[in-house]
Amino acid sequence: MSTITIVYSVLGVICTLILALIVGTFLPGFERKYIQARIQQRIGPPTTSPGIIAPIKFFFKENISPNSPVPSLYKSLPIVCFIVVLLILLALTPQMYFFGALASIIAIVGFLKVEKVAYVLMGSLSKSVMSLGLSFPDTVKGAAHPNTEKVYLEDISSNRAFRMIAFGSFPFYLALFIPVTITGSIFLGDIVAYQQANGPFIFTLAGFIGAIVFFIGYMILLNEYPFNILKSKADVIEGCYMEYASKYRSFVYLTKGFLMFTLGALFSVLFIGIPPNIFSWGIIVNILVAFIFSILMGVMSAFSPVFTYRQFYPVVISSSLLGVLALAIGLL
Amino acid sequence: MSLKPFSRARAVHLMLVYTGGCNGCDIEIVNCVLSPKFDIEQYKVFLTWNPREADVLVVTGPVTKLNEKPLKEIYESIPNPKAVIAAGSCALMGGVYKNIHGDIPSEEIMGPVENIIPVDAKVPGCAVRPEDILSGVVATLPKLLEAD
Amino acid sequence: MTEENKPVKQEVIETEVAMGTVHPAALEPYRVRLFVEDEIVMDAEITIGVNHRGIERIMEGLPVEKANALTEKVCGICSNAHIWNSVLTAEKGLGIEVPERSNYIRIIMGELERLHSHFLFLGHGNEVLGHETFSMRVFYLRETVMELLRMIGGNRVQYGASIIGGVRPRCEIDEMRTQKILEGMDTLEKGILDFADRFVLDPMVKSRTEGIGVITQKQAKELEVTGPTLRATGIAQDLRVTMKEYEDFDFDIITMDDGDVRSNLLMRALEIPESIKIIRQAVKNLPKGPILDRSWEMFDCDSIKSYIEVPRGTLYHSYAIEEGRVRGSIIRTPSMSNIGAMQTACIGDHVTDAQLCIVQCDPCFTCTDRAIKVIKI
Repeated sequence: MSTITIVYSVLGVICTLILALIVGTFLPGFERKYIQARIQQRIGPPTTSPGIIAPIKFFFKENISPNSPVPSLYKSLPIVCFIVVLLILLALTPQMYFFGALASIIAIVGFLKVEKVAYVLMGSLSKSVMSLGLSFPDTVKGAAHPNTEKVYLEDISSNRAFRMIAFGSFPFYLALFIPVTITGSIFLGDIVAYQQANGPFIFTLAGFIGAIVFFIGYMILLNEYPFNILKSKADVIEGCYMEYASKYRSFVYLTKGFLMFTLGALFSVLFIGIPPNIFSWGIIVNILVAFIFSILMGVMSAFSPVFTYRQFYPVVISSSLLGVLALAIGLL
Repeated sequence: MSLKPFSRARAVHLMLVYTGGCNGCDIEIVNCVLSPKFDIEQYKVFLTWNPREADVLVVTGPVTKLNEKPLKEIYESIPNPKAVIAAGSCALMGGVYKNIHGDIPSEEIMGPVENIIPVDAKVPGCAVRPEDILSGVVATLPKLLEAD
Repeated sequence: MTEENKPVKQEVIETEVAMGTVHPAALEPYRVRLFVEDEIVMDAEITIGVNHRGIERIMEGLPVEKANALTEKVCGICSNAHIWNSVLTAEKGLGIEVPERSNYIRIIMGELERLHSHFLFLGHGNEVLGHETFSMRVFYLRETVMELLRMIGGNRVQYGASIIGGVRPRCEIDEMRTQKILEGMDTLEKGILDFADRFVLDPMVKSRTEGIGVITQKQAKELEVTGPTLRATGIAQDLRVTMKEYEDFDFDIITMDDGDVRSNLLMRALEIPESIKIIRQAVKNLPKGPILDRSWEMFDCDSIKSYIEVPRGTLYHSYAIEEGRVRGSIIRTPSMSNIGAMQTACIGDHVTDAQLCIVQCDPCFTCTDRAIKVIKI
């Protein structure tokens, strides 16, 4: 191992991360303008506005202290989320595969769990001015049930995030383990090597079913339209993100696009066998996958209403069953 | 042009607070954002319902008694720089509800909006036209751009 | 809802979620307190009064014409219905026969307003459902109606078409306007039927709306529900059948069976073609003659009542005239009696559906803000 190789790999990792960030900032705007707005027969916002200009704008806003029992913890959570996504992408780059335990499916599942737990904490720590915060004399004499315990809207969102941990992310984790059953190894390096030798998994039956399950899990993980019960406008307004302002809100915005790219890259590692690496042409496949996923997601979300649990459970159960089927096929 | 005003001019988040008018203005404004015919998003203006995210607060209605405190609270929770647009004749001068009985003071109406929070742009009309809301947003831009 | 017929006992209720007065799912300021257990609504209480502007009080002592203009500001959605009924009240008391042509123009305005109100309901309902595309499509169609209203009335929201003795001269419907109305009706009919097809066939929307927010016929009768919300439970009651203004017109009363969100939304979508039918008849048979009769005299009369059917149900206006001024004005709007239905519809549904259940009754709290309590009769 010469120093040149180390410098090269560090440079490669950093360049890959920067490229991912740049591509990630375009994804939300791309989805909003070219998919949803076109379906809705309108012009839509400029591609750059939702993803990159808005975070920059929030960065220059006044830094207020949020209405929260623990403001410092609440403020740190979006940064934690951002770092978690960064670590996932880091684990996906081929230069990092020698880390072993970090570059494995188990580590990625762990990182994603951290993100989910962050939602629960965010929800329970946020006490927004909307709803209960607005002073309104509604518990006056003659009101129904005057002595009930009052909760903020974000508390409902927090409860929902908790349920999401229990069942919502199930299809996604099942999909992650389909390549493991085929390859027989939890290390990303082995999965990539196997696919480069034997062809991408997406062209096998198990891999194809796995890809469908992965996509459903991807939408649930991103809280996009049919699955956005966590932050549905009809009741909890924005859910756990309610109190973020200025820099912290810009992190929330950046994380969304970045997560979209990272999950796309995860798909191309697990099912196509092409890791994100700035030094190979394979990176174009990564970017393409990220864009195709956002197109599919845009189409899906434009044509569906918000799912409540009544629709959510069947979708999760049926896609989990599909996932189990794919696992079984993979094992055979 | 530095990055600060550049970004502020290209992503404006707009929040609507209705304070008890006749509903006409609210529908015209929400409609102006929602309907593909006007589509305010193409002018880089986004509708939000979270005061922490908002830059521009649009207030309609003459501010009834029960709405005075919520309006103040929402205004205070918007981080700086912020601008307020009073839309519709009720928000500008209390409308027909405050003025039809001449000098007799009104018990119900606390408005106009100026009495409660500082107003930066005034959009006249009963009800306001969606186009005018856009020009109102444009009129508040200098304040947003020049702020630190 | 009164104390006796509360469906759930106090001890079961865990938490209270308050929404409002500013909330994205509501177009108007009101407060709803949802009593929730494991995200299922156990009881709901809607508090209005946020919008109270005291319109009936400030109407007291105003000249009748001015008071009529003020009633238009009761509501921004059904503004024409309010001024129409208020003018009808005065005409009834003063014994004025309006020219036939002006009556037809009033009906055209009334039906156009019903169209725009129903389109608004569909758009808003779909938005609360979370279906942005449907809501955009409906709002795009609605713009056609708004343009027609602007063309006839001169404004997009408050048109002030009716005055005592007829309609304002600027609302005269000439050859060019007739043509435009007919063209608009063709666009709307095609658009709404396409929408209804899409809405019926969409499985995701079906599973979201079916069986949600059910109001049974018995409950509807008990709560004195009116308008399309009542018709969605299967009771064919429409005041337009008995109104003498609508005598010449041929239309059907649409009813649905279930009383849930789905039948409420479809109900309005299917009422739109009926309104289009009325407008086409009115434009085709528009009688010749003057549109305004100024030869009436003001005299004192006792309290006069008038009921008409507006987009949301039955509207009631009453006042007495004394020396050309209004005395003792009472306005009872349809949403007032539908508040009970809104509260009942929420019970047993998920929190995300709660606002949808309120929206399905087509609330217009701006109209209603003079009620203190919903009393069971």
